[in-house]
Amino acid sequence: MKTQRTDWGRRQPPLAGSSFELYAWFFMRVSGLLLVLLAVGHMFIMHVFNDTLNLDYEFVAARWDTPYWRAFDWLLLALSLLHGTNGLRVVLHDNISDTTVRKLSLSALYVTSLGFFVLGTYVIVAFVSKV
Amino acid sequence: MPNQKLVSSGGIYKGKTSMWLYIFHRVTGVALFGYLLLHIISTALILLGPEVYEGAEAIYKNFYFRVAEIGLFGAVLAHAINGLRIITVDLWKKGSDYQKQLNLISLVIFIGVFVPSSYRMVVSYFDLCLEKSSPGTTVTDCIIRPIPDWK
Repeated sequence: MKTQRTDWGRRQPPLAGSSFELYAWFFMRVSGLLLVLLAVGHMFIMHVFNDTLNLDYEFVAARWDTPYWRAFDWLLLALSLLHGTNGLRVVLHDNISDTTVRKLSLSALYVTSLGFFVLGTYVIVAFVSKV
Repeated sequence: MPNQKLVSSGGIYKGKTSMWLYIFHRVTGVALFGYLLLHIISTALILLGPEVYEGAEAIYKNFYFRVAEIGLFGAVLAHAINGLRIITVDLWKKGSDYQKQLNLISLVIFIGVFVPSSYRMVVSYFDLCLEKSSPGTTVTDCIIRPIPDWK
């Protein structure tokens, strides 16, 4: 019997071959669990235990004086960008049916994410306090 | 048509509240990604020195952005708690049987964390604004003033 598809445009589960989507699904769970600690922790540290009204150059300089906070911030940067990029990849894939527009959007997303990852990494690594 | 039946009636996420939570998770996810890019740019300004960085930070030090920060805090928290709920539904054998209970527990945890945290963010804003601003500053000044008069 001929199967009628009623869900055109949605992601289809891969029938064989690449298991990329499975790993992407798993990555979202693992990075999500880590981000519950890193991102929610970051929000509590910056907005509840401290106040952003007190945020100035010296605060960041003191924070990045220890390699541990640089590592914390870099891990947060990398995981949130990857988690967000994969999330947006799925959203774009699900909502844009035109192949050309979808490919352009996805390319723009990957280029943007890579650019911000390089910028953020450079800032965390290269920062030297001037005070 | 067995295949079509499988496509149209299956799915863990089918159901009123859980379907809205699925949309909510996407909307907060996209919004948080947009904020993340903005946040990376504003933090990157620190390489240009104290004047540039603190000049940019001053834009955030008013009550309008305090309200936005509380919204941001709520979005991160809600996305995180809803993500934990999704993981529970996915990985716990009976997760899909207890969706209503899991939705309710998630809401209770969210309110339990969000209400005291946002209360603290409001109180702390006025405490610090009145403490740092020049003498004679009123609570109304702290609410309407777009740029602080202190550094």
